[in-house]
Amino acid sequence: MRGVKDLVDHTILCVGADQSTVIVALKYGSILPCCPTSPCANHAAMSALNVKDVRLFQEATQGFDHGFAAGELTVVLGGNQSGKTNLCRLLAGLPTQASGEVWYQEQDWTPLSPQKRSVAVVFQAFVNYPNWTVAQNIASPLVAQQLDAPERERIVASLAQTLGISELLQRLPSELSGGQQQRLAIARALAQRADVLVLDEPLVNLDYKLREALVLELKTLLAETGATVIYTSTDPRDAFALGDQVLLLHEQSALQSGTPLGLYLSPKCLAAAHLMSDPGVNLLPRANFNGSEQCSAIRPEHVLLPGETVQDCTDTISFHMRVDSVERSGDETFVHGRVSKDGELQDEKHWVVRRPGMHGVSVGQMLELNVRGDDILNLALD
Amino acid sequence: MNRRSRLSRWVLAAYCVYLILPLYWLLTLALRSNADIAGVFQLVPSNPTLANFAEILSNPVWYEGFVNSLSYVLLNTLISVFAALPAAYVFSRYRFLGDRQLFFWLLTNRMAPPAVFLLPFFQLYSSIGLFDTPLAVALAHCLFTVPLSVWILEGFMSGVPTEIDDMARIDGHSFWFFFTRIFLPINRGAIGVTVFFCFMFSWVELLLARTLTGSEAKPIVVVMTRTVSASGMDWGVLAAAGIFTVLPGILVVWFVRQHLVKGFALGRV
Repeated sequence: MRGVKDLVDHTILCVGADQSTVIVALKYGSILPCCPTSPCANHAAMSALNVKDVRLFQEATQGFDHGFAAGELTVVLGGNQSGKTNLCRLLAGLPTQASGEVWYQEQDWTPLSPQKRSVAVVFQAFVNYPNWTVAQNIASPLVAQQLDAPERERIVASLAQTLGISELLQRLPSELSGGQQQRLAIARALAQRADVLVLDEPLVNLDYKLREALVLELKTLLAETGATVIYTSTDPRDAFALGDQVLLLHEQSALQSGTPLGLYLSPKCLAAAHLMSDPGVNLLPRANFNGSEQCSAIRPEHVLLPGETVQDCTDTISFHMRVDSVERSGDETFVHGRVSKDGELQDEKHWVVRRPGMHGVSVGQMLELNVRGDDILNLALD
Repeated sequence: MNRRSRLSRWVLAAYCVYLILPLYWLLTLALRSNADIAGVFQLVPSNPTLANFAEILSNPVWYEGFVNSLSYVLLNTLISVFAALPAAYVFSRYRFLGDRQLFFWLLTNRMAPPAVFLLPFFQLYSSIGLFDTPLAVALAHCLFTVPLSVWILEGFMSGVPTEIDDMARIDGHSFWFFFTRIFLPINRGAIGVTVFFCFMFSWVELLLARTLTGSEAKPIVVVMTRTVSASGMDWGVLAAAGIFTVLPGILVVWFVRQHLVKGFALGRV
C-alpha cells in the first residue's frame, strides 16, 4: 500500500499539475509491478531494432549497444550535444559522425541506404518540399513506393484528416504556420508506413501550447502505427507523457535505459537524475561527505515550503534557504535560492524548489525548508 | 503633397527621361529614312516608316547575323547551365580535398579579360576546324560563363537546407528523381538568374565573337560595325538593327525579373 501511494505521489509531482499529463502518467502504475526499477528481461528479447557498438561522435572511445523495443515508443533523452541527432541519422542511414551497426530483426541495415530501410524521419526543423503542395508532400513516399493514384489519394486524405490539415491540402508549405508545417512533416512520415519511425525533437520549435496539444495527439497516433518509434527530446515531460521506454544519453554515450517511472524512481547516478528532472535535482550541502563516489540529492518538487505539512513521516530534515528569485507560472511556483546546512557558508548549494500552487515568497527572505528523509536520493557521482 | 516629395518626383522623372532618351532616339532613327535623318531635327518622326525593319528581316546579311548570334548565345547558355548545375550542387553539398581552392580557381577565370584568351583560342580552333562556327564562340564564352554560373548557382543551392536531400532519400526517392523533380524546381529562380547572366554576357561580348568567326558565323554585333556601304552610312537600318539587338535582353529580363531581384538581394550576383 505504501508503494502504491508513493508511486501516485511521485508521479503526480513529477509530471506537474497539468491534468492531462497526470492521466497519462498514472497509467504507468499498471506497468510498475511488472518492472519496478529496471527493464524487464523479456523486453530485451523483444527488441526489434538493435544498435551495436555505437559511437555517437568520432572521438568517442567506447561504443554502446541498445535494443529498441518492438512496437513501443522509446524516448531518447539527452542534453544538448549529447548525440541525439547523430543517433537518429545513424538509424536512418544518413551521413553522420556516428558509427555502429544497425540491425532490424534479423536484417543487417548497416550497409543499406536510407531508400532501402523501412524508416521514416521527422526532423527538428520543419522540412517539407517547398515547391510541392501539402497533398503532394504527404504523397511523396507513396510516389516512391509506386502506389497508384487513387490509393495515394485515399491515404493522403485519411492522414490529412487525422492530423487536421484537410483544409490545407492545396497550399504550399510556406503558407502554413509552424504547427501546421510540423503536422505536415509528421503526416508524410506516417504515410511511409515504415517499420521504424524516428522523430528528432519534433516539437521543440513549436510554442508551448501547440506542444501540449501535439504531444497528446502523437501518443495515440504513434501507438496506432504499430511501428517501433524513437523520439528524442531534452524534456523529461516528453518521456513521461509519451515513452514506453526511455534511453538516457549523457556525455556522448548511453547512460541508462528502462521505463520512465523506473528511471525516475531509481536513477543510476547523478547525471541520470538530472536528465529525468526538470529543473535538475538539488544537491544536498556537504552531500559527498561519505566518500567521494556518492552524493545525496533531492528533487525540486520534493522540497516542502514552510507551512506545508509533512504527513505520516518520522524523519524530516530541514534546510535554510536564502531566496534569490521567484517564478510563478500560474499553477506552479519555482523558488531559486542558496541553501546551506547549519549556516555554513562555504558549502552553499543553488537549489530550485518547485511547488504546485501560488506561494507568497519574496526575494531575500530566509525560508526553512523541510525534506522527507525517504525522498532523498543517494546517487553515484557518475 | 508637400514640396519635398514634389521635388523628389521631379528628380525621379528627370532621371527616367535621361535613361530612356537614348533608347527613344534609337527608335525614332529606326522609324525614319536616311534622307529624313540627314534633314531637319525632329523630336517625333513626321512620316514614320517600317522600311528599315523590313530591310533587316529580308536581307540575309542582317538576319543571318541575328541567327548566328542567337545560335551561339543559346548554345553557350545551355552548355553553361547544364555543366554548372551538377558542379554547383557538389560544391554546395560536399566537402572534398581542395574544394575551396577549386572553387576560387573557377572564379579567377572570371577575372581575366577575354583578350588574354584570343590567341590560344584562335590557334586552337583553327587547327581542329572549329573556326567560324557558332560552337567555337559558344565554347570560348563558356570559359567565362561556366564559372559565373557555378558561382551564382552555388550561392542559391547552399541556401536550400540539406535536410531536403535527406528527406527525399528517406522517402525512398532516387537521387535522379530528387534532383530533377524536387531540387531543380526549388532552384528555378536561381536557374533563371543564371540563364540571364550567361545570355547577356554572350550577347554583348564582341571581341571573342569577332575574332573566332569569319564569314559563315558572323554575329550581329560584327555586322553592325560593317555597315558603311557604297551608298554611305545606312543610319536607319543600323538603328533598326540596334532595336532588334536590345529586344532579346529586354525579353530575358522580363521573364526572370522577379528572380533577379531575389538574386541581387542574396548578394550573389
